[in-house]
Parts: sequence; C-alpha cells; structure tokens
Amino acid sequence: MPDFGTLCLLIALACTGWAVIASYNGWRARSGELILSAERAVYAAWALVALAVLSLEYCIFQDRFDVEYVASYSNRALPRLYKVAALWAGQSGSILFWLFILLSYAALVLLLNRRRNRLLMPIVTTTLSFVATFFLLLVNFMTRPFVRLAVAPPDGGGMNPQLQNPFMAIHPPCLYAGYVGLTVPFAFAIAALATGSLNETWFRTTRRFTILSWFILGTGILLGGWWAYVELGWGGYWAWDPVENASLIPWLTCTAFLHSVMIEERKKMLRVWNLALVIMSFELAILGTFITRSGVISSVHSFTKSDVGPVFAGFLGLSVLVSVGLLIYRLPDLKSENRLDSFVSRESTFLFNNLLLVGAAFAVLWGTLFPILSEAVRGVKITVGPPFFNEIMVPIAFGLITLAGICPIIAWRRATPRKLLERIQVPFWSLLGGALALILGGVRDVYAIVSFSLCVFVIATTVMEFYWGARARQKATGERALAALRSLVDRNKRRYGGFIVHMGVMLIIIGITGSSAFKQDRTASLKRGESFSVGPYTMRFEDMVSSPDPGAAAHHGDETPNQNSEFQGARLAVFRGGRPAGMLVPGQNFYSAGQTTSTEVDILHSLREDLYLILIGFDPREGRATLKAYLNPLINWIWIGGAVVIAGAWLAMLPDLRDRKREAESRLREAERNAA
Amino acid sequence: MAKPFSMKIAVSVIFLVAGFAVLFGVGFKGNLVYYLTVSEYLKKSGTSDLGENFRINGNVVPGSIEKRSGVLGARFVMTDGSNRLPVLYAKETPDTFVDGSEVVVEGSMGADGIFAAHTLLAKCPSKYEAQNRAATAR
Repeated sequence: MPDFGTLCLLIALACTGWAVIASYNGWRARSGELILSAERAVYAAWALVALAVLSLEYCIFQDRFDVEYVASYSNRALPRLYKVAALWAGQSGSILFWLFILLSYAALVLLLNRRRNRLLMPIVTTTLSFVATFFLLLVNFMTRPFVRLAVAPPDGGGMNPQLQNPFMAIHPPCLYAGYVGLTVPFAFAIAALATGSLNETWFRTTRRFTILSWFILGTGILLGGWWAYVELGWGGYWAWDPVENASLIPWLTCTAFLHSVMIEERKKMLRVWNLALVIMSFELAILGTFITRSGVISSVHSFTKSDVGPVFAGFLGLSVLVSVGLLIYRLPDLKSENRLDSFVSRESTFLFNNLLLVGAAFAVLWGTLFPILSEAVRGVKITVGPPFFNEIMVPIAFGLITLAGICPIIAWRRATPRKLLERIQVPFWSLLGGALALILGGVRDVYAIVSFSLCVFVIATTVMEFYWGARARQKATGERALAALRSLVDRNKRRYGGFIVHMGVMLIIIGITGSSAFKQDRTASLKRGESFSVGPYTMRFEDMVSSPDPGAAAHHGDETPNQNSEFQGARLAVFRGGRPAGMLVPGQNFYSAGQTTSTEVDILHSLREDLYLILIGFDPREGRATLKAYLNPLINWIWIGGAVVIAGAWLAMLPDLRDRKREAESRLREAERNAA
Repeated sequence: MAKPFSMKIAVSVIFLVAGFAVLFGVGFKGNLVYYLTVSEYLKKSGTSDLGENFRINGNVVPGSIEKRSGVLGARFVMTDGSNRLPVLYAKETPDTFVDGSEVVVEGSMGADGIFAAHTLLAKCPSKYEAQNRAATAR
C-alpha cells in the first residue's frame, strides 16, 4: 500500500506537469485538443492524489508502523477520529492533504466552468496545475509521506495528547481549505492578466469561491481559538503566536478584497488594487502554510532547521515575480473609469476600510516576520511581543468598526446632508445611550466603553438598514412587514448577508473586549471543604475523583474515552452569588504512552461569563489541591458571533434573484445566437 | 481622465498613513525582545541595548524541575548543551513542560542570579512534533 501511494504521487506529478505545459501551449496555439487534455490531466491528478490520501489513511488504520509517518503520528490505541486526523498531524501528511484540497478545488472549478469562461480557463488551468506541481514536487522529493523504516517498531509514537481534541481535528482542515481556496481567485486573476480580458468576469466567477475561502479561513481561526481555550489551559484563546498570525494575515487582505471589489463592480475603480489584493492574499496564504509547517519563527536559529524553507521561498519568489510582472505589463489597460469625487461618500469609506485592513495585515506580517528578518540582517533574532500587536490592532479595529457603522448610512457618490442627518439619528442616539449606560453602570475602562458603544452604533445602523429597506419595499409593493423583509433580503443576498456578517463581527468584538478588559483570576490551595472565590463565584473543593469515574467522564463530554489514559480530577461545588450553580471537575489525564499528562480544564459557560477552572496539582500527603480560576466575561459572544458570521456568509453565497435573472437572460441570448 | 482622487481624499489618506506609521513605530520600538540561546544570553546580558527583557531558548535539565506543593510554577535549570541557567517561573506550567523538553522563557535576571520568567513556552521532547503551535502558557 505505501508503494502504491508513492506511485500515485509520481504519476500525479506527471499529470499536473503535463497540464501546465499542455494548457499553456493550448492557449497559445488555440488548440482545443491540448486544452481539453490538460483539463483531463487535472481530473486524473485529483483522482491519483485522492488514492494517495486513501492509502496513507489505510496505512494508519492498518497500524503499518513500517511507514515512518504512521510510526511517528499514530499508535494502536489511537481512537478512530484521531486516526483520520493523523493524516494532517505531521509535515508530509499535511502537505499531501493540502495538495488534495487544492486539486479538489481545481477539479471543481474546471467542472463548473467546462462550458463557461473559455477565454480564461486555459490559463486558470495552467496556474492551478502549476501550484499543484509545486506541492507534488514537495511530496515526491522533499517531505515524502510514504518513507519506510528499516525496522518497524512494535507500536507508534502516537499523537500529541493536546491534539486529541475534536476541535483540533477539524481546525487544520479548515485552515487549509481556507488557504487553498484563495488559489482559485488568484488563478482567475492571473488568467485575466495574461489574456488581457480584464473585465469583471474574473471576480464575478470567483466571487463564491472567495467568500467561501474567506469564511472557512475565518472559521478555522475561530476553531483554533476555541481549541486553545478549552485545551491549553491558560484561560485565553489568542496569543499572537506566529501560526495564529499566519492565518490572520491573508484573512485580513481577503476581507479587504471582498469590500473593494464592490467598488470595482459599481464604479470600475480600484482595478489594480483588487488584482494586487488577490495576488497578495494568495502569496500570504502560501507564506502562512510555510510558517505553519516549518516552525521557522518559533525556533531560535531557523535557517538550519527547515529543509523545505528555501524551496518555499523560491516558489514564493517566483510566483510574486510572475504576478507582479503581469500586473505591471497590464497597467495601461487597467485605468480607472471613474473618479472618487466626494470625501463623504460610500466609496471613500471603502477606501479607508481597505487602507486600515491592509495596514493591519502589514503590521501583523511585520511583527511576525521580524525575527527572521533581524536574524538575516543582524545575525540575532529579535522578537516582537504581543503588546505590539495589541497596541496597533486596537486603534485600527476602532477605525474599522466606526467605518462599518458609517458606511451604510452614507450614499454612493455624494451624500446629501439632509438624508445623512435623518439616517444617523437612531444609531447616534444608541451610541450615546450605550456609552452613558456603561459609565452609569460603573464601567471605567475607556477602551471598553469606546469599543462597546461603537459596536452598539454599528448594530443600530445595520438594524436600521434592514428597517429602511423593508419599509421602502412595503410602501412600493404593499407587502406586509415580514414579507417585505424577506423579499428584501432575498433580492440582494450578498448585501444583507454582508450586514449579518457585520453584526456577527460586532458580537465577536464585544466578546473580545469583555474577556480582555474584565478578565480576573485567582489561585488557591485548598483542603477538602475549603473554598475560594473569583468575581461572583465561590467554589468549594469537595473531593478528588478518578476515572473510570462515570461522573467525571460524562463531565468531560468533549474527550473521547481513551483506554490508555487515566483521569484524576478535583470535584468542586460552584455557587454564584450564594446560589448553587453546578459542579466542576478540572483535572489531569495521564497517558501511559509517552508518560505525558494533559490538563483537562473545566468550564461553566454562560452568556454573561465563563468560569474556567484548572487543577494545577494535588498533594495526597496534605490532601491539598492547588487550583486556578479565571473569570472570562462575555467570552461566549465570540463563538456566538462566529456562528452569526457563518450564517451571514452562507446567505451571501446563495444565488441572488438578480444573478438568476442575469443568468437566465444570458442563456436566452446564447440560445438565440445558436438558433440564428 | 484626470487624477482618480480629489485633493481632500488624498490629504486624508496621507494623514491616515502618517498616523499609522507613528502608531507602528512607537508600538514597535517599545516591544522588541532579543531571542537567544542560553550561552548567547550569558555572554550578552548586561551589554545589551535592548534593556532587561530577554527571550531564551534551551532544554530543561532532566531532574532539575522543583515544584512545591500549593505553590504555582516551578524552579528549574535550562541548558543549551554547554551552559546552564537557573529559572523561576511563578505561573501554572503547560503540560509539555517536563524533563528534557525544549523551552522558551521570557523575563529578566533577578537579583539572586535566578532568571525570573513571566512567560514559558514548552515543546515536548523528541517524538512529538509539537504541531501547529507550541503549547502556550501565559
């Protein structure tokens, strides 16, 4: 089976290599035969890589420890879910998986466009297969997943217990699917540049792919945060770690693109900028994959450690060179057809939104890469701490939130003062009311007051946007309120989906603000019957429990029962304001394989706050348990906001009534042409 | 086609970029930390232009971890193979912090000659590639 996988990858490499050459030459020579053969080669490569993925999974499930990868990342006792996840637990497996997702996207794009966009498709095929060829070269010659060991160990090393969490199992696939998805708009942008057909086709065709990868990447980031929160046991969810940053940067540039592309659609402006954003997002996604996989930044002396480093750098350099070269070559054809005339117009809010987002992306990128740069230039690694990121991102975030609130109120082109005044009433008073309520309620943290009231402002403008729209429709058609609202949203799903996304983001910001400005923690060492408190909570240490204790096991519902681990925990009765609020059992899992322990935090969730308990240690001689409690106000609004964002993004991806009409019209025209 | 932007917008863009540059410069300058191995640190400490705060990488000397019951954190010795550095970390330690694991500490030298760390990151020894991110404790 391992040899079969190796063979599949080798043939797949030949396929994508052929696809690059055939598709490009087919485009040059206008040869339909070559183009078609290239497309078939992509489908074949997809099937072959799928087979390779399956054979690696087969080796994992069959406990084939003669395969080095299986011996390193799996073992006999690993639960089934994590055997699937072992595919992306190590470097070579995750690059293989990355490749599989890329080819899946490529095959899907080719399938969807087999009768459309024939002008662009040959170069789209070339670009996608070129990227695939690079990753195939990696898995064939650099980090090979099917390397055999001379002597197979009796059991494998197993998966890091911290990764044995359902969220960790789906977090990497999400990130990868997001990263890889950005290749699709990139391929279309390159095709538009190469062929010179620079109209709106390229971004209209890829709109759904872009929103899809944007929201998958965002979901991946949130899942990573959730995993860190429930698994790592330090009470937080984001640490400005290089790997986290690597996923945030392309997400920021992609967010900028999703906004500025609307300006291009409406006004035929910012055309170079949009192409540049798509190219940047793709390159940053590749960079992100590289940072995630190679660990160049976290190690003190990076250049000696990673062997894929130079290869990735070469690929990045080459793709930047080609894309920027093409962009410069086409500059004369990319003149703006309009002029940004008014300062107070929706266009200008989009412009500022883009500057802020790209500025944020740049700051995070700079802070993340600075250790490497300083090592290359001065021979010594200098890191930039989390306070740098916080100091820069907070003001930028405030700017972005304000724009999100103002933007919908301001009209396109030029806003008239009267209309503006009318529209800003409700949001403005909610902003003031919110701020006043916070101050009267005893909140003294200036950042928190600004942040909360700005969020209230945005939510108010957004709700009013639905209200005004529905009312106008009601007047025009005589529909009832709810029906008017439904048809309003139905007619312009992207717009109203986008607004829902905005509201979700505001909830996330509220959660971040609450959990960082008002976080509290307490540590205590308790004997049975003693208690300690944090915020409104009091916790009484009842007893120690150990599994297989059904109560403790049920309590940690997210943990898959694992035969080779043993749980020891402290049971605490929790009271909020004197009233019983439940039972928490924080503890530790001892894994016999590898002699490791993993802290199992226990959390009492509520909309108001989380009580987060960690068992630091237990001294059986004195009967004392050392515990740490965190109070994280409003933190759950981050995850709730995430769900709202997902809902909004789905809505925005659904086909619009307008789209459907346009498509029907174009079909009709085509049919007429054929008949004539 | 004249210039694509009006004067007012150009000016405000310039202001925005300038504001960003100031924010960026100040925030950046104030948060730089040297990242060194144990030996490099022992050679460099005292002579540096970047203040007291350092980030140091090394491995936990097996058997050196001392934890006192009822007290958070640990004392331990870290090494890069040639030199040793005693460290005190007074917060809860991550699960990956065990004998032999690779650690990154950030903090400053205390008056007693023990390095007082306010941040500790640990990676499991050898066979577990600490994937995706090193376990974090803050």
